[in-house]
Amino acid sequence: MHPFSILTLGIFVAGYITARWDLVTRLCELAIFAWDYGVVTRAAKAFLALTLVFLCIFIPVERLATREGYLHDALMRVFWPTDLPRSDLRGVVVGWRNSALDVFVLAILDEVEPRNVESALQLGTLTRNAPHPVSRIYEVCGQSSMRVLGLSNTPESVEVDPSWIRVTTESGRRVPAVTCARASSIQIILFERPLPSQMQYISLNPIALALGDKKGTFLQDSPDSGEDDDEKDERQKKAKRRQLVEKLKQHSVIKRVPSAKEKALAKIVNQINWAWELEKLLQSNVSRIGTRPKRSLSVSERVVESATTARDIMLVWIWDLFTVYILPVIQRIFILGLMGHRIFAEMLLRLLEWRARPKYAALKDISATAQQVEIRLQQFCYWPMQYVTLRLRKNDWGSVTTSHPDYIRFYNSLWLVANDVIIGIALGSYIIDNANWVAEEISQLLSSYTVDALQSSISWLMGWPAGLKLNSELAIFLGDLFLWVIDYWSSCIEALRPALPNIIWFIGFSSFAGASMPIALFSDLTSILTIHIYSFYLASARIYHWQLNILISLFHLFRGKKHNVLRNRIDSCDYDLDQLLVGTILFTLLFFLLPTVVVFYLNFAIARMAIISLKAVFDTMLSCLNHFPLFAIMLRVKDPRRLPGGIRFELRDTQDFRLAINDSPKKLPSTSVIYLKSIPLNFKAMFYQYFQMGNRIRKHYLSPEVVLCLLTGKFVPPLNRKNLYSLQYSMLPARRAGVMEMWDAVNSLPSPKRRVAPVYVPVLANGKRYPNNYGGGRLRSYG
Amino acid sequence: MLTTAPHLYIRRPSPTTAEFTVTTCPPLTLPLRLALLALSTLRLSLAATVLFALYTRFITPPTPTTSPTSTNHHPPFPPHPSPSSPAAYLTPAHLTALLHVLTASAPGQHLARLTAPLPPWLLSAVSGALLYFALLWRLHTTESLLVLRGLGIQTATTAAGGALWGGGGLWGWVVGFGGPATRFIPTEKIRDVLINEAFQGFEVRYYLVVVVDGEDDVVVVFPRLLPGRRIVETVWRGVRGCLYEAPPEGGYGYDGQWKRG
Repeated sequence: MHPFSILTLGIFVAGYITARWDLVTRLCELAIFAWDYGVVTRAAKAFLALTLVFLCIFIPVERLATREGYLHDALMRVFWPTDLPRSDLRGVVVGWRNSALDVFVLAILDEVEPRNVESALQLGTLTRNAPHPVSRIYEVCGQSSMRVLGLSNTPESVEVDPSWIRVTTESGRRVPAVTCARASSIQIILFERPLPSQMQYISLNPIALALGDKKGTFLQDSPDSGEDDDEKDERQKKAKRRQLVEKLKQHSVIKRVPSAKEKALAKIVNQINWAWELEKLLQSNVSRIGTRPKRSLSVSERVVESATTARDIMLVWIWDLFTVYILPVIQRIFILGLMGHRIFAEMLLRLLEWRARPKYAALKDISATAQQVEIRLQQFCYWPMQYVTLRLRKNDWGSVTTSHPDYIRFYNSLWLVANDVIIGIALGSYIIDNANWVAEEISQLLSSYTVDALQSSISWLMGWPAGLKLNSELAIFLGDLFLWVIDYWSSCIEALRPALPNIIWFIGFSSFAGASMPIALFSDLTSILTIHIYSFYLASARIYHWQLNILISLFHLFRGKKHNVLRNRIDSCDYDLDQLLVGTILFTLLFFLLPTVVVFYLNFAIARMAIISLKAVFDTMLSCLNHFPLFAIMLRVKDPRRLPGGIRFELRDTQDFRLAINDSPKKLPSTSVIYLKSIPLNFKAMFYQYFQMGNRIRKHYLSPEVVLCLLTGKFVPPLNRKNLYSLQYSMLPARRAGVMEMWDAVNSLPSPKRRVAPVYVPVLANGKRYPNNYGGGRLRSYG
Repeated sequence: MLTTAPHLYIRRPSPTTAEFTVTTCPPLTLPLRLALLALSTLRLSLAATVLFALYTRFITPPTPTTSPTSTNHHPPFPPHPSPSSPAAYLTPAHLTALLHVLTASAPGQHLARLTAPLPPWLLSAVSGALLYFALLWRLHTTESLLVLRGLGIQTATTAAGGALWGGGGLWGWVVGFGGPATRFIPTEKIRDVLINEAFQGFEVRYYLVVVVDGEDDVVVVFPRLLPGRRIVETVWRGVRGCLYEAPPEGGYGYDGQWKRG
């Protein structure tokens, strides 16, 4: 206080006392009175009692309460990388603090002061020289800063913050011993860090090998066509099950609010993915902690420095020359070629997708070749977009895992096309070299199977096959009819025969675009060249179906009933005698003629089924060539950690863990040691699309309805191509990017990084250097 | 004798972590250990015999009508003199010599004679089935439930019987797909853990289900074994006590005494 104001205050008090002197005398009298009657001693006694009560009750209670407060939910969770270098040196544990008792260890910085580390973390010294923006780390890992979490290998005598952990790591022991003043029990969750440089990562959900953006579009395309009866059935079943589960969910009365620790799991997965890169970054900056010694370079160091700098400058100059003058020209030409190709592809795709009316089939729905061409063109359209996405990946940290499935998809489709072309070249050169022989063989096959075999089977049916006494007149009539058409068809095929070598040569030539092209062409060729079997099947099925229908209605008449169309039921009906007579005669007649029609129908139905299965084989080959998860299987064998299929935990026995700690004097809190491991993607998930397709085919063709259709001669509807080939499009986006979009994307690529002459940063260490053998070996040397 | 009715083991290193294992494997006593060891030796020797039979079939010339005496007179390879130097064990030469000796020996000849009348496809089918049984068959079913407070629930199943993918067994170990089929459910997604009852035939089964948010189906715990009500109740209490941090007032919870089921 200012002396002048003290003086003023003193003058005021003195003046007040002189003015009110009687008040002071009163106070004096009161004090003497109190002393005389023992008030003071009583007050002192009361004070003493209160103090005692306070000391004996309140302070212990308060202490207990704080302790309980610490201990309540005192489960501490420590995420610890198993491959963290172990040493006996004292160190500072640095990492993320997700919540008060939930810590994630990133690195142990050896031989530094915790205070310095704290300030370095706040100033960002430890994340200096990061190759990419640092803010991205905090954004993905969900925390605002890294923290000092505790100390390692520190003696008990050192006083630390109660929320810090004390860790004992020795080179001999696998699991570190962790204690924390606040925690009553500890979960140590050990994990092995995925290496971002090798694109390993972990994830909670299995990696998606197919693009999952068109589930809806397929459903929208055909919401209520007659085709997807089985689909509808399945959907209904699912809805029913969902309802049941909903009902079950109503049993839980209490809705728990998840705690911070429970919500942190998604963040922690990201933190695990980042652990390797962040530890490297932190360790590379350890030397910056503390004060810098003032020392200039020695003469020899300067000589070495200038020599290396000169070499680097030469290299940078040459690289600049290349990037400035030559690279842009090459790039430009390439992009223009790409765009020209894209425009051509667009036109062709429009043609393939053109429909006369929205309900009509487009070219790609009819022919396998058209579909194959369309798939290839779509892939060519998609690749530049994928490549741009993957290039942008380079501008980010390696630990960002969002584009890894894209990477796998891109290289899978590239590899498949390359494989396809390689196989295609082998196949094509063989076909071209032996065009005549192949054509001969094919025409031989055609004539023997689609003409001769059919003819012989028909003539066999005409002459009481297998001892069955058919109606010879009807059999001869039907057989002659079919034989006549076959004759006509065989003359057509004869006319085609001279042109066959040319067609084969064309097919062989087309296979330089991939082995899938000739397969698709052969599939189409099969459908064209067996069109007569298809029509025979249709005709005989029609006849059989009619006859069966007539028989059924005549049977009703025979029983004195009839089918009421208006009510859709069977009513009794009074027939006249002549009606009954004629009906019964007709029924008998048709019934005895039925076996003849049946054998012809069966013959053609079997032939038709054989052709359908042949085409199914072709289609399977096509889908294998186009969409086999080759790259994924290779990765699965080579490095399963690149294909994460979820995580799993393993509880380890803590016996040996406890035994190892017994030699330390203090008691550890109850600890459970848990290993977190990544499950590699299983094969079922890899081939999920194939399983689905197989299921669909099985449901469609082996269902009772189809058997019924076959038995009653109804036309068996073929499986909708769109449903069947959802597999083919599983790796393509639902909507392809337009020409202008691709132009923008290709031009948005960042120019290659200009190499700047490296600035020599002297190792200004706090007496230490960044260890040379870091990363390979687990133990470190300090020089 | 080698398997029992499913029973429960509880492992609980700290009050916040517990593993409930239901298995058909009886407690590993010494006789049981010996029996299991003998069984696996038997299986391995069966596999070796099958492979050896295939080998003998492979090296014999395809003349099915030769009489056994002629094969005795002309063994496919003359028996090598076994290497005299003891240092040459486990070298390829020694192993081939050993194979030759085995082929020429009486059991080998007998095996060759036994497999000779079988057509190749039948032989391959039979040996495939035998190998499958010998290498891939598992005796015990073990299912476990791991509860980690703050993280979630994990179910794991190692089923008895053969398994090509995703199972354990020798094959799984060789190919590297070993380990049980696991499923992890984060706590955030767990709506509730319930005991449900269902009719199966003329009996009522009680089973533990985890109701997961955002899924169309519930997750059944111990789906293969479906242990009895006593075990299920113990596990249910344990899960309720272990999974959640503060059990509601007067509710279920860890009551301090868990018995082995």
